[in-house]
Amino acid sequence: MRTVNQRGWLFVLPVLLLVAFNALVPLMTVVNYSVQETFGNNQFFWVGLRWFEEILQSERFHAALGRQMLFTVTILIIEIPLGVAIALAMPRRGFWVPVCLVLMSLPLLIPWNVVGAMWNIFTLPDIGLLGYTLNNVLGIDYNMTQDPFAAWITVIVMDVWHWTSLVVLLSYAGLISIPEAYYQAAKIDGASNWSVFRHIQLPKMKRVLTIAVLLRFMDSFNIYTEPFVLTGGGPGNSTTLLSIDLVKVALGQFDLGPAAAMSLIYFAITLAVSWLFYTLMTRDDR
Amino acid sequence: MRFLLVLGIILPAAVLAQGWGNVSAPKEEVFTWADWWFEPLFSGFWMAWTRATVSFFIFIFGFIAILAIIELFRPGGGERLGIIRLTTTRGDRLFIGLLGSAYIFLAWIGLVGTLLWVPLGITIAWLFFCFWKI
Repeated sequence: MRTVNQRGWLFVLPVLLLVAFNALVPLMTVVNYSVQETFGNNQFFWVGLRWFEEILQSERFHAALGRQMLFTVTILIIEIPLGVAIALAMPRRGFWVPVCLVLMSLPLLIPWNVVGAMWNIFTLPDIGLLGYTLNNVLGIDYNMTQDPFAAWITVIVMDVWHWTSLVVLLSYAGLISIPEAYYQAAKIDGASNWSVFRHIQLPKMKRVLTIAVLLRFMDSFNIYTEPFVLTGGGPGNSTTLLSIDLVKVALGQFDLGPAAAMSLIYFAITLAVSWLFYTLMTRDDR
Repeated sequence: MRFLLVLGIILPAAVLAQGWGNVSAPKEEVFTWADWWFEPLFSGFWMAWTRATVSFFIFIFGFIAILAIIELFRPGGGERLGIIRLTTTRGDRLFIGLLGSAYIFLAWIGLVGTLLWVPLGITIAWLFFCFWKI
């Protein structure tokens, strides 16, 4: 008879407890709040699915969700190809490898709120280096506190600056793990650079790119700190992404019920899109 | 003057009709199963449990527990290639079923309203479909 070692469960237990306390209990609480109304003091009144109906039919929610999707799609379209291109251009051996890796890691080491504050100052039209240069040297009318388009461009450029490095590092890790024999075989066959990329590098990077797309999707879809510090959701509501709107409802208005319903809808979207990405990108492996 | 006279007759008559004792008596609490089902389970507790929300989680965790028991007797996750050309285990099918159910309910609430008997039927059919074909 085959004996099964069950000791592995004990090793999993701490993680299970941690997840229960930092994810499961808050999620359960959010579900409870989403069907009740409270006026504080932990007194709750059942309202059923009214908050879900209110949120799903509200134009404010539709607008914030639209902005969130636009932001996520834009940064994915920019960051993934750009990250792969930079990784391809990076040296594989020699002195410059650690230099490039350190330079690429730097933006990732900066705290999120500092990134927002940094870009806020950097883009100020009067004293910021970028804002001043654009307005006074290049003669481009740029003021992200007044112009929604300029605010959007700034938020996207900031995110690309901050997070493309992650895609670069992941892609680079995938690239250097490809055995030299593949490249030699391609050289013998007289393959072009594009063919090498299409038939060797890209398939070999597939797993790390899956992780990169998933991480960037989830991070960008749940992004809060950087755009909040940079623009505060303005001008008007033009850069009020879903997360910023959610915090406004939950903490600004203290409407815990609608905020909980909004969180669950937000969670369902993140879960479904992540699952879809993961399934589509790993379908051939299973 | 005539108005005051009429008022003087009508008001005591109204009070007498329901009895002096009932004028300031608090409204009697009538027990209903709906109140019992939706009232706070632990009054003043921050997690705000009700019997309805507890049942919701028992349903989900019960489903997972059933899958765990099936796994003990039939290990391997029951992997198969389903109708959407996707290799799924029992856990995958439950995940797709529950996520799909959430979307059916959300779509119904957003487009129609909060009377949920129709989406409940669709959801049950969807869950059966997931475990049967996906």
